[in-house]
Amino acid sequence: MSVWAVLAGGFVGTLVLTIILAGANYLRLTRMDISFLLGTAWTEDRSRARVVGYALHFVFGLLFSLAYYAAFLALGRSGWALGAAFGLLHALFAGTTLVNLLLPVVHPRMGTSMSAADSAPLLEAPGFMLLNYGRATPTVTILAHLAYGAIVGVFARG
Amino acid sequence: MTPYPPLREYAAIGDGRTVALVALDGSIEWLCLPDLDSPSVFAAILDAERGGHFTLRPRQPHEARRRYLPDTNVLETTFTTSAGAVTVTDAMTLPGRTLGPARELVRRLEGLSGHVPMTWRVEPRFGYGAAPVRLESQRPYPVATSGSDALAICAWDAGSVRCDATGMGADFEIREGGRATIAMITAHQEPLVFPGRAQAEARAAATVEFWRRWAADLAYTGPWRDAVVRSALALKLLVFAPSGAIAAAPTTSLPETIGGERNWDYRYSWIRDASFTLEALLQLGKRGEATAFFWWFMHATRLTLPRLRVLYRLDGGANAPERTLALEGYRGSRPVRIGNGAAGQLQLDAYGELLDAAFVYAAADHPLGRDTAHDLASIADFVCRHWREPDAGIWEVRADPRHHTQSKAMCWVALDRAVRMARLGRLPGRHIDRWSTEAANIRRFIDDHCWSEAKQSYVWYAGSEELDASLLLMAIMRYDPPESPRLRSTIDAVRRELAAGPLLYRYTGDDGIAGGEGAFVCCAFWLAEALAIVGRRDEAAALFEDLLRLANDLGLYAEEIAPETHAFLGNFPQGLVHLALISAAMAMAQQ
Repeated sequence: MSVWAVLAGGFVGTLVLTIILAGANYLRLTRMDISFLLGTAWTEDRSRARVVGYALHFVFGLLFSLAYYAAFLALGRSGWALGAAFGLLHALFAGTTLVNLLLPVVHPRMGTSMSAADSAPLLEAPGFMLLNYGRATPTVTILAHLAYGAIVGVFARG
Repeated sequence: MTPYPPLREYAAIGDGRTVALVALDGSIEWLCLPDLDSPSVFAAILDAERGGHFTLRPRQPHEARRRYLPDTNVLETTFTTSAGAVTVTDAMTLPGRTLGPARELVRRLEGLSGHVPMTWRVEPRFGYGAAPVRLESQRPYPVATSGSDALAICAWDAGSVRCDATGMGADFEIREGGRATIAMITAHQEPLVFPGRAQAEARAAATVEFWRRWAADLAYTGPWRDAVVRSALALKLLVFAPSGAIAAAPTTSLPETIGGERNWDYRYSWIRDASFTLEALLQLGKRGEATAFFWWFMHATRLTLPRLRVLYRLDGGANAPERTLALEGYRGSRPVRIGNGAAGQLQLDAYGELLDAAFVYAAADHPLGRDTAHDLASIADFVCRHWREPDAGIWEVRADPRHHTQSKAMCWVALDRAVRMARLGRLPGRHIDRWSTEAANIRRFIDDHCWSEAKQSYVWYAGSEELDASLLLMAIMRYDPPESPRLRSTIDAVRRELAAGPLLYRYTGDDGIAGGEGAFVCCAFWLAEALAIVGRRDEAAALFEDLLRLANDLGLYAEEIAPETHAFLGNFPQGLVHLALISAAMAMAQQ
């Protein structure tokens, strides 16, 4: 198992995850826009936010693949099924803790149920499993992360 | 009482992406999101029950009067009740580069006197009233979602918002000097962005300033400046900022006759309007908009060259499949159509319009570029090959194709402009002899087959004795010189046969569609322009003044007006009417 292979898997997995989310967005299944969500933490400029957001998204995709790598090493095995299982955990973590607890702490423009726009505009809070962005969002998120995890797992196995 | 206000009671506000229609009673009854040609979220104008609306009005009997804030597309409505008066200022704010809602409609209220109990209610119905809507409260904001679209209300000092199964709203009271603001924000394929009150109000104020600056830059200094500026502002509402395309109107299926089936979707850009639009924009000093529009239609048409589609989507796409919606229609006028089946018709006049637009653009010292010059030459070649074919004509008749005189004349215009541009070195000149020869052949065809000795007029189509108002364009497009006896007598004949007071029917013959229609307002402005061109300026000015009196209280026009009642008919506001108004005023200013 090579760390470079896992990073390559992280890159391809993030690419696929991005395509799945964008496709679901186009098909009117969700309003989740990961680049917009991440990028607006850095800038108020809509166009620039999307560029920054995509860059951050890919950086996070690579960092998460390293976490997968560590877990694969700890368990002494890898593969698409184990990767997909990690992907499921990853999706549940992202949909519950990451976007609802951690993201509002670091994102100056992210709304919560306790906030209201005042001096600065606020982004719509994602809600549990990002349900505020559409009822199909949890399903789409889980599918996208299953694909991501499976791809990282395949690359890790070589 | 009918739930459908007269069409002349609507006002239009917009942000360069979409347009909302606001009724005199403060109800927003037409709005498509995110763009002008997207499905509607408010369409009460087409179905009072299912269409969706955003009402805001006093809870007591009241009178309403309104105006646009001077030189803007921001609407101010003043409601007066027995207990006091309040103004509502409606603006679709213009997006900036900073983070804000994708689309935002801000309604600011100010108490003028006494205390006025007010109520507002939003009933969003996405997808032309057919898409499922989920309404919920994302504290403190009520939010409606449907697929990848969302709408939320941010209200300040406008009551305690209730959200129920069908909508959201509140009652509140506004006292003299009191202020309240309601911002309706929307998102498409992204999370909502909730603004603070100060931001929403600042954007509304910046929007007023934007429109004032835009109007102040208009170069027109001739007579009837107010009407020309209002028409320019109405036209600007129809410019789809992301592409530079200009929609014919922001609505679909407002009927040409109440209860009739002549209900069409005008949320497309017609190539036919190209030269009018370019000429108007250039003469108004709006070179930026003119350049954007020219390159938009040159890019859009590239997909189908040398054949032109009659109309293109605002994003430049060529497909506009027509279908009907399960809506009641304005005052029961079914069907309600989206898409436009005329897109695939052969309408030969469009080729003349496009080449004339290119000629106007090039004459204003704009570079065409080598590829565009080749494209234009290929269009001229196409005209040489196809001008002998019958077509659907400018009126898009759905009867059998005919040899329409105006179509032939515009083919002549196409070749005339191609020859002139080639002689100036702006187009490749290798086919110039062929273009000249075919132009002469077209003129001979019109002289031999499209002239009626009995009527002393050109006729609607070859071999007929009927007239139509598009013959006036032969003057405006300089097919014949102003001193031409044929042109002069045609203008008189058209007026004699088609006029109804100051208005003009476009024709009186059969067009393959059941039911009648009102008088086409653009045709009456064409008549005024044609009269001015042949030197009858006083007659033209008198007619023009009569027509100005037929606008609604805000200076806007629908496509048609019923001559007997002066009721508006057809899509509203219609760009071609406002273009014709500007063009006629300019023609008179030049006399």
